[in-house]
Amino acid sequence: MCCSSSIERDKALMGEPEAFDISAVKGMKFFDPHVHMTSRTTDDYQAMADAGVVALIEPAFWLGQPRTGLDSFRDYYSSLIGWERFRSSQFGIKHYCTIGLNSREANNESLAEQVMEILPLFVYKEGVVGIGEIGFDDQTAAEEKYYRLQLELAKEAGLPIQVHTPHRDKKKGTQRSMDIALEHGLDPYSVIIDHNNEETVKEVLDRGFWAAFTIYPFTKMGNERMVEIVKQYGPERIMVNSAADWGISDPLAVPKTAALMKMRGLSDQDIELVTYRNAITAFAQSGQLDEADFNAQKNVDLTEKFEGNTILRGGQQPRTDKSSIIIS
Amino acid sequence: MKRDDTMAIQEALSAIVKSNVSADSQNWLESVIQSADQSNKISQAFVMVPRKTGKSVIQLNEAQKVSIAAAGISYISNWTIDRLCRVWLLSNLNAADQEKLYATVDRLFLSAEMSEAVALYSALPFLAHPEIWVKRCAEGIRSNIGSVLEAIMENNPYPSENLDDAAWNQLVLKAFFTEKDIRHIVGLDERANLELALTLIDYANERWAAGRKVHPQLWRLVGKFINAEIFEHLKVGLMHYDQIEQRAIALAVAQSDYQPAKDYIHTFPELKLALSEGNLNWDSF
Ligand SMILES: [Zn+2]
Repeated sequence: MCCSSSIERDKALMGEPEAFDISAVKGMKFFDPHVHMTSRTTDDYQAMADAGVVALIEPAFWLGQPRTGLDSFRDYYSSLIGWERFRSSQFGIKHYCTIGLNSREANNESLAEQVMEILPLFVYKEGVVGIGEIGFDDQTAAEEKYYRLQLELAKEAGLPIQVHTPHRDKKKGTQRSMDIALEHGLDPYSVIIDHNNEETVKEVLDRGFWAAFTIYPFTKMGNERMVEIVKQYGPERIMVNSAADWGISDPLAVPKTAALMKMRGLSDQDIELVTYRNAITAFAQSGQLDEADFNAQKNVDLTEKFEGNTILRGGQQPRTDKSSIIIS
Repeated sequence: MKRDDTMAIQEALSAIVKSNVSADSQNWLESVIQSADQSNKISQAFVMVPRKTGKSVIQLNEAQKVSIAAAGISYISNWTIDRLCRVWLLSNLNAADQEKLYATVDRLFLSAEMSEAVALYSALPFLAHPEIWVKRCAEGIRSNIGSVLEAIMENNPYPSENLDDAAWNQLVLKAFFTEKDIRHIVGLDERANLELALTLIDYANERWAAGRKVHPQLWRLVGKFINAEIFEHLKVGLMHYDQIEQRAIALAVAQSDYQPAKDYIHTFPELKLALSEGNLNWDSF
């Protein structure tokens, strides 16, 4: 996605950028259960809040390049439950996270061992709604070892599991992730299998797992295909996320998909299930997610709430009028 | 906090914890405190507390209100039960082994999420060996998170009792920058100093240059130090004709010993009147 990109190519593939018309889903609430806000800007938070995103889950992820020491894991986990959660709150969005050792990073075994030692310190923290995102990337023996260890940790902590499925050899990787989870005695109803596609969805649902879909341009799911999947399989145990990160991705993927579903004739009730309610049901099994908390967050007076945080330097206002040429 | 107060405070906290948690949670907390592996158990329990206690604001009966007032900790009355329990757990850490105490609390700071950080900074006045937490407190003032700053700056006696002037001045300056409730800074008047007054005057000039107002409480910290040089800055402020700023400056001047400034204030009839009526005080800003 990064190296050979050019503006001409992007335009050819994506078309001219177009303003998203929120009117189709105005007033609806959305939950994005997988988005890496650490790599996004405050403008994204504003746009998400404006589009109706009231809560989100940030799964622990990798940085795009390997970490070289334990302290950078510790600082990263701390930022997910600290600074990033606070930053989100400034936009009226309730921020939860899942904590885990990413599959790619499981391959550095000496570091992975150390990470496993500090994970128990983090998984019991407030607002940690699962172990994630864990699973397979290259499908190596080391990845399997740390996947299994983290399944055991999830079992002990009574937390749901958010499973990342590999880009390459996806179907086999997905089956293997489910087989192993069952082998460890986990209830499939506590396991969210992510990044599904047309090839994996049926088996995931048939075996009783949750099927999450990532609407991510080029590499994962497009939202027109997503509409068709919900039409074919119904809304039960299906959820939609953006997985937006440092790549070319879209933090408005959930509300946009809801708008498309609305235009393609899905019922409001089905749309609500796949873009809001199902994710809440699944992750509330952690005991750490309460819908009342994000309604409370939403009700805070913005001017009050912006008081005394330092996204806003002395005297700045919570909102800038982007249509004005005057910046004061 | 004076050592002889420690027992009374400890008893008051224990009683409030007990009356605000279920019998199950109470047993759990007791077993944690009495465990042989106390520091490890308290660390784990510190993280788990909200799951056992919920997060409601504590309820106090009349006797408890009296006891916390007597112990000088009335400010805990609007704390949530998880915050109180966390502070109480830490206050029960064995104080005899100073190094172990430090290592245990420091480790919690290193992995703290927001409400844990709030509880940790709130616990500073309740921990033994106050001198060993000075650096940590100064570090906390560098936080960007509003609730964490509030826990350090507002209704917390630790900073004024323990920080050096540089860290203290940073706290006050940052409280103005981040719009904290200045009136809730403990020891504000006692720790006023010339260096801080001069820094705040620079800050006021920056605000004026940007066309912004100056928080009236700022002048409270300047009054004692008014001299010929500071007087010149006050004159600039008085010329802005913002009624609240003017009144705050007038009050600061009234509390100073610098006669030329006092005489100058009396050339403003409304300010002279407001001062003579005697109802200007720092709580009114
Ligand atoms: Zn992800």
